[in-house]
Amino acid sequence: MILTSQSETKVSMAMRQTPLTCSGHTRPVVDLAFSGITPYGYFLISACKDGKPMLRQGDTGDWIGTFLGHKGAVWGATLNNEATKAATAAADFTAKVWDAVTGDEVLTLAHKHIVKSVNFTQDSSCLLTGGNDKIIRIYDLNKPEAEPQEITGHTSAIKKALWCNNDTQILSAADDKTVRLWDRNSTEVVKQLSFDMSVSSMEYIPDGEVLVITYGKTIAFYNALSLDMIKTVDAPASIHSASLHPDKDFFVAGGDDFKLYKFDYGTKEELESYKGHFGPVHCVRFSPDGELYASGSEDGTLRLWQTAVGKTYGLWKCVLPGEFSCLIPNE
Amino acid sequence: MRPHVSVLRLPRGPDPNGRGFDPNSPRFIALCPTTISASTETGTDSVQIREEQRARSVLRESFLRTLIAMTNKQVQFHMYERVKVEAKFGASDIDVLNFQVSELHTPIGVQKEALLRCQDVISYSFDL
Repeated sequence: MILTSQSETKVSMAMRQTPLTCSGHTRPVVDLAFSGITPYGYFLISACKDGKPMLRQGDTGDWIGTFLGHKGAVWGATLNNEATKAATAAADFTAKVWDAVTGDEVLTLAHKHIVKSVNFTQDSSCLLTGGNDKIIRIYDLNKPEAEPQEITGHTSAIKKALWCNNDTQILSAADDKTVRLWDRNSTEVVKQLSFDMSVSSMEYIPDGEVLVITYGKTIAFYNALSLDMIKTVDAPASIHSASLHPDKDFFVAGGDDFKLYKFDYGTKEELESYKGHFGPVHCVRFSPDGELYASGSEDGTLRLWQTAVGKTYGLWKCVLPGEFSCLIPNE
Repeated sequence: MRPHVSVLRLPRGPDPNGRGFDPNSPRFIALCPTTISASTETGTDSVQIREEQRARSVLRESFLRTLIAMTNKQVQFHMYERVKVEAKFGASDIDVLNFQVSELHTPIGVQKEALLRCQDVISYSFDL
C-alpha cells in the first residue's frame, strides 16, 4: 500500500474497513491457504472442524466447491501454486490429495495419528505431512504406493511442516516448543530454535527467505536459511497467526481477542485494529497480490479484509463522499 | 462518523444441494482432463470416443435404474471390515455419498432409520 496522493490518504483515513464475511462452515475455521496467481485468478482453501474444507475464489470469497470425504475435523489445508491440486490433513488419521478443479479425491494417505499439516513442493511432485505422531513424512505423488520418507526428531505433536529453500529443506514447528530446520536429503537437523512456549503458527515467505513465527503475544521474524532472528513485535493480546505482506511493509496478526491487528513491519508500530469476528482468530494470510488478507475464526467464518481501505478491488467499490473528486486507484 | 467502504455484493455462499465445482466454469472446461481414455491418446479417433462415451452412458443409466429398482426393497450391503448388513433401501443423495435406509439389521441390533456412507460399501445386492 503506497499512498502517493494526498487525496487517496484522505480517502483511506476517511473510510472504515468493510470486511467481507464468507459463511458456509458450521464449526471453527482452523487453517487457510492461498494458491499462487493463476490465469483464472487466485484461490483460497479453508480447513474446518466440520470436516468439509472449502475452495473459494480468492479475490471475492465466492464459494467454488466443498471437498467431501474426510471423516473428522480437518486441521490443515493447502493448494499448489496453480490451484489444480489441494491437500488436507485431518483428525481421521489421513491426509488427502484432491483435484482442485473437479473436487474429486485423488489420494488418501493413511497415518497413525491425527494429521495437522500438509504442504506441496513448488512443482507439486511431493507432499509433506506432519501431525500428532511426531513424524514428518515426504510422499512422492508420482509413486503414491511407495513408502514415504520419514523424518523423526520432534518429541511432541507437529503443528506445521513447510518446504523451504527451494524445496531442499524443511521447517517444522511442534508442541515440543521447537522450530527445526531439516535437510531433505540427509533428513538431519540443520538448525533448531527453542522457545519458552509452544509456537502457535508459522509462515514461510520464499521471496526474501523470511520465516514468521507466533507465540504468546509475540510475532517474530527470522531469516529462514540461518534461523537468525530479524525482529520481534508484541501485540496487545495472545496471537494465533500472523502474515507478512509480500512487499514486506506491514504484517497482520490475529488471536484471542477476536481482533485483526495491522502493524508497520519497519517501525513495528501498531497501525490499525479491526473488530468483526465473534470468536478467536485462528489463521490469517495475505493474498498473493497483497491486496487483501483472509482470516479464519472460531466463529466458523472467514473474513476478507482490504489492505488499502477504500480501494476498488474484488467486491469493494471506491465510492467517495461528495467533496473529493473521483480517484483512479494508483499503484 | 466515518462511512463504511461500499461493496458490490456479499461473497456467494455454498450451494445447499451439491458440492460445487461447476463443470460449466471456464476453469473446469479448460483444465479438466477428459475422463474418456480414448481421447487422451494422440491422434484422437472420434469414432472411438463416441463408442466409449456411449458405453459410459449405458453403464451410468443402468446404475441409476438400479437405484430406482431398489427403492423400498430389501438390500444386502457388503461393507469394509467384513460387515454385512441388510436394510430397506430408501434413496441415494445426489452425489451418491450416502444411502438412506430403514430397518437396518446390524450385528448390534436393528436401526429404524440410518444413513450408509457409500464409500464404506464394497457391494450390494437385491432381488428384482
